[in-house]
Amino acid sequence: MGKRITVPFGSQHVALPEPVRFVFQTENEKIVDVEVDVGYVHRGIEKACATKFKYMQVGYVVARVCGLCAISHTLGYVTALERLMGVEVPKRALYLRLLVSELDRIHSHLLAMGHTAEVAGYENLFMQTFRHRELVMEMLELLTGNRVQFDFACPGGVNRDLTPEVEKVLREKLKLLEEKALWLKDVYENDFSLALRWKGIGVVTEKMAKEMNVVGPPARAAGLKTDARAEFNYLPFKEVGYKMVVLKGGSIYERNLLRALEVLNSIQMCWNVLDGLPEGEIKVPVKGLPEGEMFVRIEAPRGELFYYIRGSQKLVLDRVRIRVPTFSNIPVMKELFVGMDYADVPATVISFDPCLSCTAR
Amino acid sequence: MVVDEVKVPLRDVRRTIKEFYNPQEWHFITVNGVDLGGKVELKWFFTRYGEEEYFKVVTAEASYEDEVPTITYLIPSAWISEWELADLFGLNVEGAKKGLFLDPESPQAPLRRG
Repeated sequence: MGKRITVPFGSQHVALPEPVRFVFQTENEKIVDVEVDVGYVHRGIEKACATKFKYMQVGYVVARVCGLCAISHTLGYVTALERLMGVEVPKRALYLRLLVSELDRIHSHLLAMGHTAEVAGYENLFMQTFRHRELVMEMLELLTGNRVQFDFACPGGVNRDLTPEVEKVLREKLKLLEEKALWLKDVYENDFSLALRWKGIGVVTEKMAKEMNVVGPPARAAGLKTDARAEFNYLPFKEVGYKMVVLKGGSIYERNLLRALEVLNSIQMCWNVLDGLPEGEIKVPVKGLPEGEMFVRIEAPRGELFYYIRGSQKLVLDRVRIRVPTFSNIPVMKELFVGMDYADVPATVISFDPCLSCTAR
Repeated sequence: MVVDEVKVPLRDVRRTIKEFYNPQEWHFITVNGVDLGGKVELKWFFTRYGEEEYFKVVTAEASYEDEVPTITYLIPSAWISEWELADLFGLNVEGAKKGLFLDPESPQAPLRRG
């Protein structure tokens, strides 16, 4: 047995510029114990949503929970509210929500893939991935008016329609993105160095995924068939060619390959939305005051996002609960570290694509 | 959406979950609290893998002084939801440490009303 050494990871670390802190106890290079702390930036958003903001404003507040998956948070809230208040959203709005949601997934997945390449020391691939991600950012800006905080969905529909001019440019960029995404998938799947560095590292087995209630790409990369897009009917995914991607293996390699494959499926769904976008209204008025409770599951890029709301016929809701995917995946990360070499920690953490902004909402 | 909700006394929560929970079949989502003034309504949410919009919810009420039983014996990953309850509602959850989500100098139990 070697001498036990305490190695802190965070609260600021080059691999993850977000405030999470792991304290590892190591013997030689092996981790024998770990403690986690996520309590650096609790922002009290749930409290604010149930005290300061009216129910029609909350969608814009929860979008600020996270920059990367802003549309997922808004979708979670507005879907819960619309179901609670019996609002029927126009089909065109649902398709537009789906389009932005999948573009958002593409840019989030590319960010996670790029960062994992970076911590593997593959700077060039990191830059290439981010360069191609820029195409999605431009598409989102064209479509919503913003690169990150879209405020696109709203109770009753969406805030902005797709014009023929924007659609034309979107199609051009989507074609280019598809070419680049195919190339990236090829690299992440077949590059010898990446496979050598990542295959078999940070393995989550299917059994572990079920026992630890893992969500999102880490669960599907471990062979667990779970995806809120298939298990909760909040957008018309079945009409636009959604396919659940599931892999076996559960290591860093599979998590990234799964993201690359999901990017391709998301691009296909975007094509199908553009080709089959229904005509009609993009928004219906929402009247009345919410009463009762409702909860929904949304598949954010990082996994299952759960929203619970409760109202009692007042302008301000009694409770807004947000359970984000990183929150669900922290327990398995903690389990995974024990027995791992310290050198594998940064890539393993990043391969889960953790978001502390979401966790400490 | 199908919601199978059962309301039980706090002391029966673990037994109720144990009766149906099988990790191969059920996905534990989270436990949620709603402050009712002097007590907190707790709901444990579950969904079944591969089934569309099917939920099981176990509901119980806990006064501020009650000890909330842990379900980590059954669902090891539940510790994080329980520790959050301890921080944000100031509840006494069996085995939970405080301070995971809140800085020691920040306002405590922020989701309690009044």
